[in-house]
Amino acid sequence: MSAYHMGEGLKPAGHRQTITALVIVGVALVALLAPPAQQQRLASLLRNSVLRPFVTMQEGLAAARLHSISTKEFQARLDATVSALANYRTLAEENRRLRQLLALAVRLDTAYLPASVLRPGTAGSESMFLLDVGSDQGISVNAPVIASEGLIGVVREVGAGMSIGMDWTHPDFRASAMTVDGEIYGFVRVERGLFREGDRLLLDGVPFYNSLEPGMAVVTSGLGGVFPRGIAIGTVDQLAAETVSWLRSYWLRPAVLPGTATHVLVAVGSISERPTDLTEAMGDSTMRRNGPGDSLEGPGS
Amino acid sequence: MSKAWRVSIVVVGLAVLHFLLHVGFGLGDVAPDLLTVALLVGVREVDVGWGAGIGLVLGLLEDAFAALAFGASTVAMTIVGAAGARTRDLFVGDSLTFLASYLFVGKWLRDLVYWIAVGEGLRQPFVESMLIGSGLAAAYATVVGVVAIAISGSWWETVR
Repeated sequence: MSAYHMGEGLKPAGHRQTITALVIVGVALVALLAPPAQQQRLASLLRNSVLRPFVTMQEGLAAARLHSISTKEFQARLDATVSALANYRTLAEENRRLRQLLALAVRLDTAYLPASVLRPGTAGSESMFLLDVGSDQGISVNAPVIASEGLIGVVREVGAGMSIGMDWTHPDFRASAMTVDGEIYGFVRVERGLFREGDRLLLDGVPFYNSLEPGMAVVTSGLGGVFPRGIAIGTVDQLAAETVSWLRSYWLRPAVLPGTATHVLVAVGSISERPTDLTEAMGDSTMRRNGPGDSLEGPGS
Repeated sequence: MSKAWRVSIVVVGLAVLHFLLHVGFGLGDVAPDLLTVALLVGVREVDVGWGAGIGLVLGLLEDAFAALAFGASTVAMTIVGAAGARTRDLFVGDSLTFLASYLFVGKWLRDLVYWIAVGEGLRQPFVESMLIGSGLAAAYATVVGVVAIAISGSWWETVR
């Protein structure tokens, strides 16, 4: 093996190569600064052509993993669902009667589609995931993505048979939230840790005169029009910070760790078709009494 | 088989293996950054313009899954590709020390440019991200890269 040494430096013929390199660096900068729509088009083209075999492979593995779940476990899940449905029927009937008494319109149900979560695992794809459903199945941008335990994230890009979602660990993630009793409102965002593993959910904007106890459940409030009301986000862990006489923020223990989710439900239809703000479905008298943004309805009813 | 062909096959093989491990098996950070290793190995055999071009293509492939940081990997890989190709005009050597240093610095530089290009909202703190996280990732890529190069027999001795 020879020791390394300094070479001769650039030869005259190398200047053309240097200019070519600078032009290509310029092209790369254009890709970085291009409008998001153009970037999405290029990314989608690559995902659906050269990289498609790799995505298909992970889809196959995800399907195989799902099929490998034992019949006993499926039976347990089915039993739990049947039990929950049995209780739901009584609640639904009670809810229908109460809504009639309060002159509220019938609440529309959100339709969900099952999907598999795929993780690209490449640089820059942290906090993002692929879904094996897309516009062909009625998925639209900003559709909520939930697991049986609670909220995972939201769809950011939609292709024909594939979508890209953003989970709650992404710095851009925001969700309007409330305590499960509907008494205290705030918004949830992620607080970055020193390392990715240190990222935590934060309930921000809680009025100073309200105090939350550890263990209280926090759900989506339905305000903002993206997430339907009542999806579990997490439980209160401890007080994070307080702005004197103004606001408090609390650390939340997340309902779902995004990395563990393999099978999810995605809301179908565009935002305008999804019943997110329940005040739209209220009668006029109730609207006058409570004002926009309030609701007499509790989560899950 | 000529050396150029052998290196080309190694580069394509490493790139395919990278996407197989990261996307196909969904291993994420558990798998090393073989795409940067492929780039660093390949650009030692080409001129600066070609180096930047290879970096551009590999960076675009990496960015296909980066919905909110599109272009950051492209810029990083393009600059590292050009810089890697330029090193053969400055340093000539095939010692293990050189190879390991080249792969380590190349991978760390790629992460540094990426960290700068990705934007303030998405980046982690510098010390934790670049000095600890990227240091470990660069060491991991170096070890795997040296092994891959040794196995494939694409150990270079670039003298022009």
